Amino acid sequence: MSKVMLETKQVTKIFGGLTAVNRVDLVIPEGAIASIIGPNGAGKTTLFNCISGFYNPEFGAVLFDGKSIKGVLTDKIAGLGISRTYQNIRLFQNMTAVENIMVGFQPRLTQDWWAAILRTPGYNKEEKFVINEASKLLKYVGLEGLGDHLAVNLPYGAQRRLEIARALANKPKLLLLDEPTAGMNPQETDEMKEFIRHVRDDLGITIILIEHDMRVVMDISDQISVLDYGEKIAEGTPKEIQSNPRVIEAYLGPGAAALSEKYRREKTG
Amino acid sequence: MKTSLQNSVRNGVVFGVVIVFLALIGFLVIAASLLQKMVGNPVGLTSMPSAASLLVFLGFLHLWNGWRVSHNKEDIDTNVPLKTRILRGLTAGVTTGLFLLVYALVVGTINERGVDMRVYLSMLSSQSIDFFLFNQSPLVGGLIQFGFSAAAAVVGAVLAKFADSGKDKVKSIQKAAVAWSDKSWLGKVKTNPYVSYVLIGVVLLLLVLVPRQWGAYWNYIMGTVGIYVLLGLGLNIIVGLSGQLVLGYVAFFAIGAYSFALVTAPDPHNLQFNFWIALVIAVLVSALSGVLIGLPILRLRGDYLAIVTLGFGEIIRILLKSDWLKDFTLGPRGLRNIAGPTLFGREFIGDIDFMYLIILAVLLALFIARRVQDSTVGRAWLAISQDETVAQATGVDTYKYKLLALAIGAAFAGLGGALFASRNQFTGPEDHVLMVSINVLCLVIVGGMGSIPGVVLGAFALKGLPEILRELESYRLLVFGALLVVMMILRPEGLWPAKRPNLEVKQPPPEPETDTRPAAIGGGS
Repeated sequence: MSKVMLETKQVTKIFGGLTAVNRVDLVIPEGAIASIIGPNGAGKTTLFNCISGFYNPEFGAVLFDGKSIKGVLTDKIAGLGISRTYQNIRLFQNMTAVENIMVGFQPRLTQDWWAAILRTPGYNKEEKFVINEASKLLKYVGLEGLGDHLAVNLPYGAQRRLEIARALANKPKLLLLDEPTAGMNPQETDEMKEFIRHVRDDLGITIILIEHDMRVVMDISDQISVLDYGEKIAEGTPKEIQSNPRVIEAYLGPGAAALSEKYRREKTG
Repeated sequence: MKTSLQNSVRNGVVFGVVIVFLALIGFLVIAASLLQKMVGNPVGLTSMPSAASLLVFLGFLHLWNGWRVSHNKEDIDTNVPLKTRILRGLTAGVTTGLFLLVYALVVGTINERGVDMRVYLSMLSSQSIDFFLFNQSPLVGGLIQFGFSAAAAVVGAVLAKFADSGKDKVKSIQKAAVAWSDKSWLGKVKTNPYVSYVLIGVVLLLLVLVPRQWGAYWNYIMGTVGIYVLLGLGLNIIVGLSGQLVLGYVAFFAIGAYSFALVTAPDPHNLQFNFWIALVIAVLVSALSGVLIGLPILRLRGDYLAIVTLGFGEIIRILLKSDWLKDFTLGPRGLRNIAGPTLFGREFIGDIDFMYLIILAVLLALFIARRVQDSTVGRAWLAISQDETVAQATGVDTYKYKLLALAIGAAFAGLGGALFASRNQFTGPEDHVLMVSINVLCLVIVGGMGSIPGVVLGAFALKGLPEILRELESYRLLVFGALLVVMMILRPEGLWPAKRPNLEVKQPPPEPETDTRPAAIGGGS
């Protein structure tokens, strides 16, 4: 875990007069599961958008695998090996599940459009490979047999998994998951938690997670960063974060830290 | 009970209004004469069709009226008793009949006073009013219409009863038939892969034989349909697949037609290129223009893209027409004596020869469109059309694929334009008006966005149907519009909606890497 996979230096994103992300420094080591937490509107998704290239930060640098990716177009960033999912599921709704994953293979394709018209042997081979790999990914996320359904017709949990499968299609080194358990019941949440851990362990993918469910965050994170009003207010292991007074204050309001300290003393004493 | 009668009255009002409207515009006479023509007894130019044919046409509408109200969606029990049905049909028929009665009294009386209604409604001659009243007095004629309406609606309602009770029987027979056909030799034929080749062969044979048979007029019409199929296939790639709402598609058509014309026509440049070379030039120039027009609009989406491309279409037309380019394009006069196809020194510019050329071009375009659509390119386009931002973040090079869509779409349009110019041996700015863009967009939408068979059907429906409906003379566009409305109600996704292929490999070949993976989430369920 020595190599740094992603580093943000003083990243700042300003919308009009609002500083959505303010000088955030992050260092994510390779193979880690890192969580970003914080109250609503803290700038978590904006930070994701800065990393995946949706936004170009006004200030600061984003280094992926040691190279700056600031201002690079999103499709090139995907080609470099960063994949992401979205807070509100954004699948290609009127394409089948398999096709959704196949679109994810785009950065890895070597055959050009004229090969597709001529159906050259190279193209046919690649097409077959992509279909097979996509079917395998489908199985991997537990959607075997649902591949020919339109994405829009899949149940909610399946759509979330399909989105992850699509993100895995380009063999990413870094996977950004934006609230992967939103809207799930406790059992589904547990399954998703295990699944995320497997993705990291099996495929060796570094994962950054935005998550509101604290059980998930505390269970699987190697490192947690807390954002509030666009600023990073704390960073550390789950244990450190749980007892950090600034974090408690950010979530529960001023004075809450003292109160929680009091409860703890009463409980132990 | 009350609501169902209300429903009947509402239905009756609609039918009453429609029939009165049809009578006012003189359509009843046309419809009756058409019916008479169909049974082989055409009507003379001055005389009116027989009363029987009017009764048949109106009877059909009244039966439909009764049929519609006989069973409605609010019925909890689908087995509506006959008495209720008759009551409903009677209500609807009487309501419609009242409209007809009032119409007969009003118009008939005015006619009796000797006022010429044609001053106000050009088709409402004294003769046609008498025709509507069966040559009786307004009151008697109106009462005949009233009684006929009520009676026919009741009959329609009763007929619906039989149809409903027969429905289950029909369904079971259908099921048995399907099961039988799957088991017997029919099932074998259906699954045999060679059957599709044979079918394609039959279609090709028809395409070879038919143009020889049906004469110059139909060759011209079908040639136009073919050119519109070409245009539709191109626009289908741009709008239907990649989701770029381009309204100035005619610009590419114009560029194809003009670049073909400019290099072959003796005037103004006298280049006189060979037909085939000129065709290739036209296609290439159009494709290039697609890329050039595409570059500045890459970042535009939705409505803005539509407006800007609308402007492009007009700019091209106005440029072709302008004084500024008069030395180059001859301005509004247009270009004459455009070359026809030649092969091995032989000229073939006859209708039949040209029809074959268009068929070949359409087949080539169909082939390319299908291959592009069922490939990584087609999937990338669909992804862009559904969510451009996410498509790009998933790794689709959106700029490249959007330009590619425009280039291929424009190339098809250029091919269509060149064939169009060559067939007419003339092209001018007025061939390339906005209506062409709108027609092509309509046929793509009517056929079903993103669907290749849909484009072909749409082209026939929009360009072929109006010619078939020519019998109806001035009512052609009315009937055509009504048919379009009906079609969009019945098939809102187009005549032949696009379908996604089934691609999942149910048992992917095992790979050592995957074997070590643990069972994934939700796998147990």
